[in-house]
Amino acid sequence: MAKLKNLFKKTNYISIGRNVEEKQEQKTPSVPEGLWVKCPKCGEPIYKEDVRENFYVCPKCQGYFRIKTKTRIRMVADTGTFEPWFEDLEEKNPLQYPGYEAKLEELREKTHIKEAVTIGKCKIDGEEAVLGVCDARFLMASMGYVVGEKITRAIERATKLRLPVILFCCSGGARMQEGIVSLMQMAKTSAALKRHSDAGLLYISVLTDPTTGGVTASFAMLGDVILAEPGALIGFAGPRVIEQTIGEKLPEGFQRAEFLLEKGIIDGIIERSKLKNTLSKLIRYHKIDYRTVMFEKKKGKEEIVIDETKEISAWEHVEISRSAKRPASLDYIERIFNGFMELHGDRSFRDDGAVVGGIALIDGQPVTVIGQQKGKNTKENLVRNFGMVSPEGYRKALRLMKEAEKFRRPIINFVDTPGAACGIGAEERGQGEAIARNLKEMFGLKVPVLSILIGEGGSGGALALAVANEVWMMENATYSILSPEGFASILWKDGKRAKEASEVMKITAKDLKELGIIECIIPEQEPADLENIEEIAAYMKQRIKQFLYDCSKKTPKQLQEERYDRFRKM
Amino acid sequence: MFQKILIANRGEIAVRIIRACREMGIKTVAVYSEADKEALHTQLADEAICIGPAPSTESYLNMERILSATIAAKADAIHPGFGFLSENSKFVEMCQKCNITFIGPSADMINRMGNKSEARRTMRSAGVPVVPGTKEPVYEAEEGKKIADEMGYPVMIKASSGGGGKGMRICEKEELFCENFRTAQMESVRAFGDHTMYIEKYIVHPRHIEFQILADKFGNVIQLGERDCSIQRHHQKLIEESPSSSLTPQLRKEMGKMAVHAAKAAGYENAGTVEFLLDQDDHFYFIEMNTRIQVEHPVTEMVSGIDLIKEQIMIAAGYPISKKQEEIHLNGHAIECRINAEDPKRNFMPCPGVIEGLHLPGGFGVRIDTAVYGGYEIPPFYDSMIAKVIVHDKDRISAINKMRSTLGELILEGVVTNLDFQYEILNNEDFQRGKISTDFIPEHFPSDSLNRD
Repeated sequence: MAKLKNLFKKTNYISIGRNVEEKQEQKTPSVPEGLWVKCPKCGEPIYKEDVRENFYVCPKCQGYFRIKTKTRIRMVADTGTFEPWFEDLEEKNPLQYPGYEAKLEELREKTHIKEAVTIGKCKIDGEEAVLGVCDARFLMASMGYVVGEKITRAIERATKLRLPVILFCCSGGARMQEGIVSLMQMAKTSAALKRHSDAGLLYISVLTDPTTGGVTASFAMLGDVILAEPGALIGFAGPRVIEQTIGEKLPEGFQRAEFLLEKGIIDGIIERSKLKNTLSKLIRYHKIDYRTVMFEKKKGKEEIVIDETKEISAWEHVEISRSAKRPASLDYIERIFNGFMELHGDRSFRDDGAVVGGIALIDGQPVTVIGQQKGKNTKENLVRNFGMVSPEGYRKALRLMKEAEKFRRPIINFVDTPGAACGIGAEERGQGEAIARNLKEMFGLKVPVLSILIGEGGSGGALALAVANEVWMMENATYSILSPEGFASILWKDGKRAKEASEVMKITAKDLKELGIIECIIPEQEPADLENIEEIAAYMKQRIKQFLYDCSKKTPKQLQEERYDRFRKM
Repeated sequence: MFQKILIANRGEIAVRIIRACREMGIKTVAVYSEADKEALHTQLADEAICIGPAPSTESYLNMERILSATIAAKADAIHPGFGFLSENSKFVEMCQKCNITFIGPSADMINRMGNKSEARRTMRSAGVPVVPGTKEPVYEAEEGKKIADEMGYPVMIKASSGGGGKGMRICEKEELFCENFRTAQMESVRAFGDHTMYIEKYIVHPRHIEFQILADKFGNVIQLGERDCSIQRHHQKLIEESPSSSLTPQLRKEMGKMAVHAAKAAGYENAGTVEFLLDQDDHFYFIEMNTRIQVEHPVTEMVSGIDLIKEQIMIAAGYPISKKQEEIHLNGHAIECRINAEDPKRNFMPCPGVIEGLHLPGGFGVRIDTAVYGGYEIPPFYDSMIAKVIVHDKDRISAINKMRSTLGELILEGVVTNLDFQYEILNNEDFQRGKISTDFIPEHFPSDSLNRD
């Protein structure tokens, strides 16, 4: 008897408790209008309250709802602080396109906004900023004269007021009804952003679903920091146009925010719930000059002395520096700094996992932190490539260093690489060029640069992050022209004599200090691992603060000169 | 009265509710997941609606689908059973907005009783004794020690964000307090990044005693005696009985009054349970109030003769409770054993499978609430409880004997169950003598206690 289907008798039973006089006051069950909304991504009905509480993200599939201007402003700006600008710009109909004015009028009535972009001044967690929001309900937020003009004027005013600009981008592109005038808005908005940037001011663009066409090819992609919402469609040509042109089906996830992150085009993907906090944090990170130090100089610095009695051979140092147990850059970053916000990508080819970089605070002082990152296991190393940096990794590092320079923020690099990535791709994309450019450009940086070798300092791949005002080494780190294996094989035609090679190459911290290649050694009582890292990180932090304090007294010119002289002597 | 009720649950409780509805002449709608097409509740109800795939988040917890099903079937009320949506205040709110009666208390009541610290506060201010503890969070060991000294040892040190034993320490003596406090706090900081701590009196060998109450719209509140649920494994009840062997008539009266008082203080409506801990000196403390029908409700039904599900439905439909307190007479002794498809030898791992052979015992005073039948395949997605065996006899010893006889007759072939484990508990001398507390299982079955945490 496996199935019970239709075996049970279901006869009518006598109803009890049903009083004849009972009033039928209960209304028939029904779903009131607007109790549920349908998720645009998974199609499931969802309780509207849940959607609102969850920042208009589907609690079931995590799909993002497109949101109205009003909602976006409420999510980002402090309550009651948004003050709209240039609301009454006059529309133009340069092509005399029939019915255009009437269409705009109809949309204004329907959406209760004047045009596809609303822009003005507000506070975000107390930080003043110019905030602009595009609204897809208004002709797919296409950019015509008024949109371009509003944005341009707002940026110009922000430049004058020295305020950061945040634009929530979303657009189908240029507005067809306004023809070539629309196209010119791309150049106009970009021009205003150039001046804003040249004045040393911050612009953050946040790309929301969908950002395409002329907006992508202008203000959307010009942020000092470019953020995106999860799953947002971002591209120049729309997916349908591409499919028709090439006659192929596009792969899943193509042109989505995650795809752009992987391709190095955007700095990060931020969930809506964390958006406001991220924006205010970024504004604060971009406000403080290296010359304003946020902490006191500690007197009577406690210098840890290196135990000279330890007898460790150069080869042992090599082995320790390569050990899988040795902490990697992120382990130090986590412990020395707070609020590390990672920024990704070289803005052109790919986000290289072998380099991590971003902005963090050291006792309230914003610094740009960059590190070569080794993986702890095979899975991590698929992303980290054993800390072997590709050209796009060096380009990402340089991009972040340039960003730091623009905002007068000190740079701290953690060096830990067996060497630059070696392979066909790396050569195709100009590994030599990427390293060379870093060496050259780092000499020009107008901010303090400190590089700390924490593990392996393999050749040019390490040097490309070590053109600094000071270079420090951990006691068990190594820094060399190439690996001892390579050295032995070139000079002695025998790679197996690596151990012997290591002893003659002068690659230990002690040797390099004597040679004047480095300024300082970070002592390790025992080889660093995740057990004793707290102590080492605390010491490093104290030394870094001293370095930052000393640099704060120097002019940009002095810093450049010092860096020049440092290497000029060698 | 309702014309049609949708049962938003599965398993034996859904079957139990369908039966009650049928006896009341109310039509029933079952909802089922894709894994429950062949389930007894699906087949037994007058109508059945599939509400989604097997995982409960997509079916039995999917509020929108359940409400849509209710409206489509034109049912006017939902009985939530226990578990799933039974204590989900948002669901209750949505029912109300859709003009569907939720058979249970209001959303607001569920919220207030669901929030443990608020429930404690309500009870404390109503004069119901609660486990002595700090009202305000404690951050410093020295500050905590003062409080603990006053309270008397042993005390329990608990992290506000704690869970799974993390950030929790039992401190036996004054000298150890500061050390215990700091380790617990450190654990909490490491695990949850929170150093907020609470201290409460640790009750040694407590009994878990709960009172069944019923409350209607008209302000009538009655209690139907207690259930002793001290036989628990990892907070999972295994055996429940009524009455408790450890209450004197005087104490029973006192606690019963307090339970009614607690329900009145909360302004409660429908069936509910007021849970107490009873210490070795007969002091009792309120711990929480459950705002739903409970798994072990049959033992109360057996001794009181009151059908709790029917009362729930009547109360929700706006009728008064069918009996007054003085009309309630508790007779004899009832015991329930929960039969779970799990393997006691493998750390009670759930063991779903096909019921290849089945013999359900019967006889005077024997009741089996189950949703399994011969050939039924237990799906792996839900709770492992497959049957509740309930017996009723004139006194505790007779009831224990009847339960042993009944379990001896119960045959469930094809799946591993905890039947033998239950049998061992019933054969235990301390159990038979009524020497039980919530520490009974770890004390008497130490191999199991080795598996703990």
